[in-house]
Amino acid sequence: MSATGIGASVLRKEDRRFLAGRGNYVADIAAANEVALAFVRSPVAHGRIRSIVKPDGAEHLVFAADDLDGVAPMRAPSKLPGYKPADFPALATGKVRFVGETVAACVGATRAEAEDLAQLVEVEYEELAPAVDMLAARAPGAPLVHEAWGDNIALATRTEGDMAAVAARAAHTVTREFRMSRQAMVPMEGRAVLAEWNSRMDQLIVHTATQVPHLIRAGLALFLGLEQRQVRVIAPDVGGGFGLKTYVQPEELVACWYAMKSGRPARWISDRREHLIADANCREHHYIVTAHADADGRILGLEGEVTVDAGAYSIYPFTNCLEAAMAGGNLPGPYAIEAYGVRTWTVVTNKPPLVPYRGVARPGVAFAMEMLLDAVAREVGREPHEVRMINMVPESAMPYTNIAKKTFDSGDHPGAVARAAGMIDVASVRERQARGEPDGRLIGLGFGSYVEQAAHGTSVFASWGVQMVPGYEQAGAKLTPDGGLELRVGVQSHGQGMETTLAQVASEVLGIDPGNVSVIHGDTGLTPYSTGTYASRSIVMAGGAVSRACKVLVERMKTIGGHLLQCEPDEIRVADGRVMGPAGDLPFSEIGRVWYLNPEELPADVDTDGVEAVVGYRPEPDHGTFSYSTHAAVIALDPDTGAVEVLDYIVVEDCGTMVNPMVVSGQVYGGAAQGIGTALYEESPFDESGQPLASTFADYHLPGAPEVPAFRLAHMVTPSPHTEHGIKGMGEGSTIPTPAVIGNAVNDALKRYGAEVNETPISPRRILAAIAASQGEAA
Amino acid sequence: MTEISLTINGAPVTASVEPRTSLADFVRDGQRLTGTHLGCEHGVCGACTVEIDGEPMRSCITYAVSCDGAAVTTIEGFDDDAAMEDLRQAFTENHGLQCGYCTPGMLVTARDIVRRLPDADEKRVRLELSGNLCRCTGYVGIVRAILSVLEKRRG
Amino acid sequence: MKPARFDYARASDVADAVRLLGSTDGFNKPLGGGMSLGPMMNLRLAQPDLVVEVRRLDALKTVAEEDGHLAVGAGITHSAIEDGRIPEVTNGMMRFVAGQIAYRAVRNRGTIGGSIAHADPAADWPTALRALGAEVAIDGPDGARIVPLADFQLAAFTVALEPADIVTALRVPRLSPAARWGYYKICRKPGEFADSIGAVVHDPERDFTNVVLGATDGAPLDVAALAEAVKGGGTVEIDDAKAALAAQGAVFDDYGNQIHAVALSRAIKGALAS
Ligand SMILES: Cc1cc2nc3c(=O)[nH]c(=O)nc-3n(C[C@H](O)[C@H](O)[C@H](O)COP(=O)(O)OP(=O)(O)OC[C@H]3O[C@@H](n4cnc5c(N)ncnc54)[C@H](O)[C@@H]3O)c2cc1C
Ligand code: FES
Ligand code: FES
Repeated sequence: MSATGIGASVLRKEDRRFLAGRGNYVADIAAANEVALAFVRSPVAHGRIRSIVKPDGAEHLVFAADDLDGVAPMRAPSKLPGYKPADFPALATGKVRFVGETVAACVGATRAEAEDLAQLVEVEYEELAPAVDMLAARAPGAPLVHEAWGDNIALATRTEGDMAAVAARAAHTVTREFRMSRQAMVPMEGRAVLAEWNSRMDQLIVHTATQVPHLIRAGLALFLGLEQRQVRVIAPDVGGGFGLKTYVQPEELVACWYAMKSGRPARWISDRREHLIADANCREHHYIVTAHADADGRILGLEGEVTVDAGAYSIYPFTNCLEAAMAGGNLPGPYAIEAYGVRTWTVVTNKPPLVPYRGVARPGVAFAMEMLLDAVAREVGREPHEVRMINMVPESAMPYTNIAKKTFDSGDHPGAVARAAGMIDVASVRERQARGEPDGRLIGLGFGSYVEQAAHGTSVFASWGVQMVPGYEQAGAKLTPDGGLELRVGVQSHGQGMETTLAQVASEVLGIDPGNVSVIHGDTGLTPYSTGTYASRSIVMAGGAVSRACKVLVERMKTIGGHLLQCEPDEIRVADGRVMGPAGDLPFSEIGRVWYLNPEELPADVDTDGVEAVVGYRPEPDHGTFSYSTHAAVIALDPDTGAVEVLDYIVVEDCGTMVNPMVVSGQVYGGAAQGIGTALYEESPFDESGQPLASTFADYHLPGAPEVPAFRLAHMVTPSPHTEHGIKGMGEGSTIPTPAVIGNAVNDALKRYGAEVNETPISPRRILAAIAASQGEAA
Repeated sequence: MTEISLTINGAPVTASVEPRTSLADFVRDGQRLTGTHLGCEHGVCGACTVEIDGEPMRSCITYAVSCDGAAVTTIEGFDDDAAMEDLRQAFTENHGLQCGYCTPGMLVTARDIVRRLPDADEKRVRLELSGNLCRCTGYVGIVRAILSVLEKRRG
Repeated sequence: MKPARFDYARASDVADAVRLLGSTDGFNKPLGGGMSLGPMMNLRLAQPDLVVEVRRLDALKTVAEEDGHLAVGAGITHSAIEDGRIPEVTNGMMRFVAGQIAYRAVRNRGTIGGSIAHADPAADWPTALRALGAEVAIDGPDGARIVPLADFQLAAFTVALEPADIVTALRVPRLSPAARWGYYKICRKPGEFADSIGAVVHDPERDFTNVVLGATDGAPLDVAALAEAVKGGGTVEIDDAKAALAAQGAVFDDYGNQIHAVALSRAIKGALAS
């Protein structure tokens, strides 16, 4: 391993500007003559717009749906049979379908002035009964979000399993109901856009906080009636995404429209209240799951009913049915199960649209499956980690295609459980638990495991019916005349450190110092097409493509180098940033000089494409990589207040080859902290009229440093057999089991009451209610 | 519009501001010092934390007019500060930042911690960080970085 | 999230502040640290016409010991109290309470007077100072007056201030050396507004015992039956506290009944243990 290549914890190149306060986010960019937008938003969850009265004298600065000439409603169809698309209008047309929906846009010299106008716009609504709870909305007779549908079900799916056979053999049948509540994604930088029309380029130039610039470009062009060459999307520094920044937003579309119409740059910077009430939310799932298990706790059969509350509209491009598809496909987790049957419903309600958040469906899935597993363990009287191990696919069975047709490529799943159990020291936790705490708190121990399919390839996305199917990921590598390297990738780095890690991949191949490598990303005008950064795909796909592109450069440099060093090209080695022959070597700058400045010195057989290459890459088979992990936690629960403190938290994970272990660890910590948020704190609740109840950070609790434990982390390394350098995707993983781990620990602590909490966030209120209910039953 | 005079990062500034302009918007839009970030505009997240008269404060809910006569230091104003230099180095070495959005506010708070609470332990550091939210790092690297600077300063 | 337009004036002294506040018929607001008014204005939940800054008035920055009281200027910040930069007459209770308010960057600007005037039921000073038996010093168009906190706090966010009045100081009685106190706050995260607060001050030498429940839907609540129990020297278990609250008609939802009783019980245990 070199000091700067794959496997080295290279300090991040991007840190310097952020630490100096010289990052450059969308809101930091000023354009001459710009205007600011603010929106009039619906105060009702469901209603018809009777009238919109613009303030006197400001009619030219206020725009409603009728004014948006040339803007099409956003449509994100799915190819799955029976799917009902739910067009998302940039400004509400006729009806409003959630509180916070954009009804009119107001333009001001500053945001404050735009808000002044918004306050003066008078809108009259005819209120309609809302569909708020997904189960009620699924039932016949519920108020209809989209009248033409006849019901609120965007998509229903059914996969049959041979349950009869396993049910007969099962010693235990355990059924549970779980709910993962709706929440917000809350990147610290909200969504932000600055759009301007550039006449010279005949182009709409859109600076926007996005993870997927090329997809946003496609969507903006589609909905604005432009050709894609007329749209350039630039994501500068982006302050976190987590899934929020993967869809075309109504406000973004309106800002673009106004910039085109007026010729003035238009800016919209979301504020925190807009994020909490009006942006797409995430997570809201409901499960009824049943395990048929033998006397040892081996799960023979699994049945599930999954309902996803998709909110009012389908977001472009990933649609509102991806969550349910992922949930149905992932419920069996890392376990070898003989029979599996699942039904899923994607239900629309009068709430903001749902968008996949870090972990995509799987935190909900794991919350159901992993907590069901612990319920089974309690039923059979065994330690939960043991029950996990006997149900898991052993290393000897790899590669293994599971009941949901996912092919786990490699790894020692039970080994990770054993290691986590060792690190948390199950025996001593049990001892402490039995001993009791001096302060009367109850100790609980929880485990959770998962396998994370990542960097899903063409075939997987195609099977989900999504329009934007990723294919070959491309990267550009270009030697500069002075021997430096520029990499161009269509993914976007917004915290993942790719300006460093992709440079490390190049360093691995070329031996170049990452300090001499620039990674250009997030700009459709400068980078090859990519579907972008999501699904833990970037380091697998863009990393693989960078590696391949650099390897092409190696071959090109060998020809030139052989000529200059007067040896055969295949006698040349490229390493340490130099081209080395048997009798001498040259720095890359010599190759650059000859190609760019003194082509008269080039060999006759030189590759005419020069020292720049754009190369495509896709792992084969393309089913994605399979990282896996087991987490374990010890909590203390105060039975009088319902407060939970996380005392210890272990992560054992295997994501194959780690390009930069420091960055991998950082992703694990950050994801697990978000999982703690889902588990214990975060919720976007709605009242029965569909009013959001958490509109500021006073009501929406994000975990802070005191709430997040000092995670203890161990890595296992099983390189992928299918990918360049053996890299597996991992960015989302640690959000997946955390809610279940904490939930299992809480229910372990509560087992003396026979109480369980099966809904996130596991708040003091819910814990106390569960205890009270169990005592009511006992009495 | 109200006329104010103050110093920003050591330099005297006189400007005419609307009373409703927050200090954060004033330094960002008026002075083009965009290192001060807005994450909530209601005082909770800490992204906007700057130093006013030597103490960390929220610039999102502090109005520029009420900073007339004050000395304001934003993240851009600590380039020659020894404690800040140590913290910046420690943040990068401990991977205390990912997207960088919380970082300026985090550093201003961190600097206050290492100067005001030289004996702080991990628990105290975490408590003192409760007013600075980070969505990316899980706080692990941030806490380690601050502890390492405390350690170094204790000699 | 930007405030509506407002006019701004910086008062030169207390009389000037009172005059400015009364100078127009509009909705005029004193500005302390702005740590509560700022968020309200940013969210446009408060849209004052005129904001009069009183934070920096010398009179509001003064701390004076008087006949058995400490008069803490309304402009004193939470962090000044936390750091012990003013005399401590409450055997450490005020320092303890101050250190738990919000976050340091908020404490550095937020003031004790602003907190009392704002009267957020979930805030710390209204409950803590009521338990201490503090009084509010007010100046206004009709001159200065002193009102016990118990009469000052009328309901959530509602206090006995006339439009042009300002709070100039909080008068906090000096505790006897042997007096004991307890303060127990239940909140989801440090710095968050409380779900419940129990505050107890037991000063037998002065024949003063107070048990106050905060973070209810209204003004803090004196729980006289528990004060009697404390005087009697008995411990108060959760069920005792529940019974006492129920007996005085203080009934909340199930969660509230439980945690309010816990906060009171733990505050009392803390006081007796100290
Ligand atoms: C994120 C955050 C968390 C917080 N957490 C807590 C907490 O846990 N506990 C807690 O107790 N508080 C908390 N607070 C509130 C904080 O303590 C404020 O400092 C305090 O409530 C108000 O003080 P201020 O000086 O900032 O008042 P301002 O915001 O300036 O004013 C508040 C109100 O009081 C009026 N006012 C101000 N000064 C006077 C005066 N001298 N005379 C008459 N009226 C006056 C104003 O007109 C306004 O109506 C929090 C605040 C924030 C932003
Ligand atoms: S932006 Fe000021 S605290 Fe969040
Ligand atoms: S580094 Fe992204 S919010 Fe802290």
